[in-house]
Amino acid sequence: MMTKSDDDFLDDLFDAARNQVPTVPDDLMARVLNDAHFAQTAPTRAATSSLLAGILDMIGGWPSVGGLAMAGVAGLWFGVAPPAALSTWTAELIGTPVTVDLFGDTNAYFTEALTDG
Amino acid sequence: MTPPTGYWSDAPDGVILLAYAQGDGEAAKVLSARLLPRVLAQATRMLADQAEAEDVAQDAMMRLWKIAPDWRQDEAQVSTWLFRVVANLCTDRLRKRRGVSLDQIAEAVDPQLSAPARMQENARMRALSAALADLPERQAQAVALRHLEGLSNPQIAQIMDISIRSVESLTARGKRALADSLGKHKTALGYDDD
Repeated sequence: MMTKSDDDFLDDLFDAARNQVPTVPDDLMARVLNDAHFAQTAPTRAATSSLLAGILDMIGGWPSVGGLAMAGVAGLWFGVAPPAALSTWTAELIGTPVTVDLFGDTNAYFTEALTDG
Repeated sequence: MTPPTGYWSDAPDGVILLAYAQGDGEAAKVLSARLLPRVLAQATRMLADQAEAEDVAQDAMMRLWKIAPDWRQDEAQVSTWLFRVVANLCTDRLRKRRGVSLDQIAEAVDPQLSAPARMQENARMRALSAALADLPERQAQAVALRHLEGLSNPQIAQIMDISIRSVESLTARGKRALADSLGKHKTALGYDDD
C-alpha cells in the first residue's frame, strides 16, 4: 500500500475513475436503437447520405463548413429533398423565427438554487 | 458495435440529429455509435454501478431522440446538452440512493485481507460515488465534470449554465469536501496514512 497525502490519494481515485471506459453491451445498444425507432415520428426514409454527400462534395466537404453555415447546409439539404411532411416544419425553421425551449423538460432538474456556487 | 464508416464520419452531431428527426434510416445508428460510449462512461464514473449507469445512458439517449424535432443546430452542441442531461440524471440517482453510506462501503473493505485488486478497485469507485452523493448536487456535478470527465472550466460553465468563477468555486469546495469525507477511510480503501 502507498503512503499518500489526502489530495494525492483523491487524485488517485479520480485517475482510476477516469480510466473506467466501459464497453457498450450489445443489449444496451439494441435498447437505445429500439427507442430511437419508436421515437422517430417522421416516416422512415432511405439514408440520405448519398444525396448530402453530393451536395457537400461540391463545396469541399464538412471541414469547410463552419459555425452557423452548418445550419444553412442542413437547410439546403431539406430544401433540395424534403419529405412530404417536411414542408410545414421547414416553413417554421426558415421563415418566421420560432422560439424553442431547447432543453425541454430537463428544466425540471434545475430546482436547486445556486447557493453553493 | 463497429461504428458506421463512410459519409457521416465527419458530419456534426447536430446535423445527423436533424436527419434523424426527418426520418433518416441510418442516423440513429451513427449517433448511437458515436455518443452512447461516452454517455455510458460518464454515468459509470459517477454512479459506479453498471445497471444504474446503463439505465441513465438509455434514458439520456431517449431524451435526445425526443428533442430531435426541436433541435436548433446553431444554438447548442449535442455533446454539451448530453453532458448536462447525464449529469442531472446521475445526481438524481445519487440523491435517491438509500441505505448505503460511505461508512458502510468503507467498512466492507477489510485491508487485512489480500483482496483481489479488482475488488478493491470496485470498492474505491463505489466509495467515490457514495462521497459524491453526499455533496450538494451542483458541487457533485462540477467535481465530476472536472475530475472524472476531464473537462475545462469554460466547458463546465457552458454545460451547467453558470459562470466560470462559479465552476471554480464549486469544484474547489467539492474536492475539499471529498478529501475530507474519503480521507477518513483512506486505510480501508487501501491507502496508508502518513
